[in-house]
Amino acid sequence: MKKLALLTALALASAASAQSLSGTVTVWSWDAAAKALESTIPSFNKKYPNVKVNVVDLGNQNVYDRGLAGCAAGGADMPDVYSIENNEAEVFWARFPNCFTDLNTLGADKLAKNFPAFKWTELMAGNKRFAMPWDSGPVVIFYRRDLYQQAGVNANAIKTWDDFIAAGKKVNAKFDGKVKMGVVANGQDDEWFRMLANQNNCFYFDNAGTSVTVNKTGCVDALTTIKKLYDAQVVATGDWGGQITSFKAGRSASAMFGAWYEGTIRTNAPDQKGKWGVYPMPANKAGGVRAANLGGSALALPSSSKNKAAAYAFMENALATTNGQVTMLKSQGLVPSLLSATKDSYVKVAQPYWGNQKVWQTILDTLGDVPQARGTQYFQDARQVMIVVQADYIKGKYKTAKEALDDAAKKISSATGLPVAK
Amino acid sequence: MTTVPQPPARPHPVRKAGWWARTPKAPYLFILPYLIIFLTFWAWPILSSFMMSFKDSRLGDTAPFGLANWSRLVQDEFFRTALRNTLVILVIQVPLMLSLATVLAVALNSKLLKAAGWFRFAFFAPLVVGTVAYSAVFRLLFNTDFGMVNRGLTGLGLPAVDWLNQSGPAMTVLILAMTWRWTGYNAIILLAGLQGISEDVYEAASIDGATPWQQFWKITLPLLRPSLLFCLVLSVIGTLQLFTEPALITNSGPGNSTMTLGTYLYQQGFRSFNFGYASAIAYTVAAIAAIFSVVQLRLFGRDE
Amino acid sequence: MTTAMQAPKDKAGVKARNRIKAFWLHLALIPLAALFLAPLWMMAVFSTHPESAIFSANPPLWFGGAFGENFRGLQADTNYLRALLNSVVIASLYTVFSMLLTSMGGYAFAKFDFPGKGWLFGLILATLTIPTFVTIIPQFIMVARDMQISNTYWAVILPTLANTIGIFYMRQAFQTVPTDLLNAARIDGASEWRTFWQIALPVVRPAMAALAILLFLASWNDYLWPLLVLTNKDSYTMPVALGTLIGLTRVSWGGIMVGTAIATIPFLMLFLALQRHFVAGIAGGAVKD
Repeated sequence: MKKLALLTALALASAASAQSLSGTVTVWSWDAAAKALESTIPSFNKKYPNVKVNVVDLGNQNVYDRGLAGCAAGGADMPDVYSIENNEAEVFWARFPNCFTDLNTLGADKLAKNFPAFKWTELMAGNKRFAMPWDSGPVVIFYRRDLYQQAGVNANAIKTWDDFIAAGKKVNAKFDGKVKMGVVANGQDDEWFRMLANQNNCFYFDNAGTSVTVNKTGCVDALTTIKKLYDAQVVATGDWGGQITSFKAGRSASAMFGAWYEGTIRTNAPDQKGKWGVYPMPANKAGGVRAANLGGSALALPSSSKNKAAAYAFMENALATTNGQVTMLKSQGLVPSLLSATKDSYVKVAQPYWGNQKVWQTILDTLGDVPQARGTQYFQDARQVMIVVQADYIKGKYKTAKEALDDAAKKISSATGLPVAK
Repeated sequence: MTTVPQPPARPHPVRKAGWWARTPKAPYLFILPYLIIFLTFWAWPILSSFMMSFKDSRLGDTAPFGLANWSRLVQDEFFRTALRNTLVILVIQVPLMLSLATVLAVALNSKLLKAAGWFRFAFFAPLVVGTVAYSAVFRLLFNTDFGMVNRGLTGLGLPAVDWLNQSGPAMTVLILAMTWRWTGYNAIILLAGLQGISEDVYEAASIDGATPWQQFWKITLPLLRPSLLFCLVLSVIGTLQLFTEPALITNSGPGNSTMTLGTYLYQQGFRSFNFGYASAIAYTVAAIAAIFSVVQLRLFGRDE
Repeated sequence: MTTAMQAPKDKAGVKARNRIKAFWLHLALIPLAALFLAPLWMMAVFSTHPESAIFSANPPLWFGGAFGENFRGLQADTNYLRALLNSVVIASLYTVFSMLLTSMGGYAFAKFDFPGKGWLFGLILATLTIPTFVTIIPQFIMVARDMQISNTYWAVILPTLANTIGIFYMRQAFQTVPTDLLNAARIDGASEWRTFWQIALPVVRPAMAALAILLFLASWNDYLWPLLVLTNKDSYTMPVALGTLIGLTRVSWGGIMVGTAIATIPFLMLFLALQRHFVAGIAGGAVKD
């Protein structure tokens, strides 16, 4: 009886404070992410009826550029909630340490354990928590069931990259080399390297962000594998648009990306419904890790916001509640990073586009295995170097992957001022 | 006071009045509105960004003044690559485009041309189109497997080219795209220049028996010099700051084989937030552009 | 006698020769013009197809039926008509004021001698060599933080009103105006302003028409600056509105193509309208024919 009274009192108290929040919360975001945030407004307004949320879809690069200008101008014209990609986040904390609110002051430290550790790595500076994890990009292979079957390839039997290459040779033989196992953006981006390196627990920098580790074993293995894929002629080269053209034309038997690519395939090739499936990325060696992360975003709260309590409440409802994250998964295919959301019953629903496979389960099952990696504030510098080195190595400019990555490490070190790890 | 003669003091006020009288006020008044806006919005940004080049912005606001950025610039391989790529484009694309623009301007100025307005529109129209859509179309045109250009080549029995994934071909695409977009712009300026040339000059030359070829070299080109100089200076400066095409069509790739000073500067300033280093790059670009411009103005200027 | 007999014959010869010349001229120009228009054609065609057609293996070459659908999507996502209106107002204001400033300044540099002329012109010209990426953030700090005029037309227009290319161009143009013509007006008692406005300006009208197009165009397609100073969706310009369609993993190509196609039309009209000024410029020669 006493307990019930206490609960009622608490509920009333929180309802009262919820009622007291008012005003407008402006949110900057992009494409599907903006639509996903919009889909959480009804549940938010149920709790906070007096807060008006205004989600502005600015486009991805625009959000970044405006954030740069706004922070440089001491917070002028910044919104109340700011979307930021994980690997681009640290440069903001480093250059503009006063531009964003430490979310711990609003209670975010209590939510820390509700998200996987790797999602926090880039969102913190010292003890300060500058953004809240949003979605993630667990890496998987998307594949065409029909093409694999015609070539006599069993997706479930592909457990290592060597298996993947062997399957690719079968596909090449079956389709006269017209269909490839994948398209790599070699020369335009180093995504494949980042995915494979992350899988092998290696990245440009160590997790403390104090030294360059791009020439360590895991990274060398990653680059070696990419070269093997090229040497076996099982992959083609193409940029983002070229990859879409390729799978639409049925020239790609598979594609590897963060799970957010699900929406890209589904919306661009509606006619291929039922033909696609998903399996975890192959491991470097039998029994090795079959998980990595590519991409994912977070929400930050600019210091210049005049409505911080309401802005934080909005972020909390969208990102830190199972209901919020599952709503975004349902509406826009945003892969949740909130651990409780990954166990929601919706995750176990069979998806008709994907041949009734429970793809979200397959995808989210890998989330716990993703090794930590840190982009640091020098992510863009390192990436630029790596794009060039990878392309040069594939072209045959270096003898070994180790030699290539030693050179990359040297260049990244000189661009960032960080030492190469011993 | 007035009755006291002051001979020694006289020359001075007279000279002052003379200076005041002799100094023309009209030109200053004509320039004043421009100058007010110009100084308000440019003086401080230029000064502050230049000072920035002496600060290592990776160390935060409190970084001491020093030459860190400038010494990095000297050793930076990426900067050298960007500089080399930019100069290659400059040397090939600018002469190509200006020759084409000059020929086009003369053709468009011809009285023999029917529907001249529509032709002018055709060559000028590329400039009107938003860069995002234009770049996407060029990427599609030069797509290796499905692009129209390769279809045309294979149709003619020529081998298909992997345009955007190889250094040389990617550079070619850039140069073609830039020429497509900017030739009309220059042709319009040259056309306006041509229309300032009196018909009588040509008639007199015809009577003297000058061939059209001679007329072009002896009359058109010399009289077109101010307009050509204008186009040349702007094209060189524009190319040294080239950003749109390499950013949107080739993404500086493959690797960094089409990275330009403009894209590298953007990368450093707007992606890596390394404002100090970006400033060092920017003012190096400015210095190169200034040297080029002065040389051009000296060589071809000799106004009036 | 003989000369009188020969003249018509010669004229006939010239006519025949001109006809051949005209034939070659058109033969060379028509395919070239077609080549220049081809990408525009593709853009127009893409604007009438659903988004997925753009990346298909066989891109369409002829118009489809999805223009309306693309446009409705674009309008819903960006309030595109409002953005077009903003762009027209901003580009027009910009063109008028910038023309005024740059022609006055260019006139002074071309037709007067005064102390400081050389280095002042050099200083103005020198700013042209500085890449905008490096000055745009300090300018933003000034406009957004210090002046607090974000989301106004003036925030977009003012900083680039003192157009360097414009003053350079007008200086070149005024140099072709004979000084005697101006002195004659002055002797007749015209003020400096009247000499400029009524004598000098009309002479450079074709050049001004060209500059007007170029200035309008520069403002019409300007992207980064308006993006920074216009944070309110209702004040977006056309390129900023289209820029919002470029997401992280999804780009609304249908919207971009249809938006670009629509944005090109007012230009086509403006260009064809100002065409007359060019034609007026050569009217003297044309009438003689």
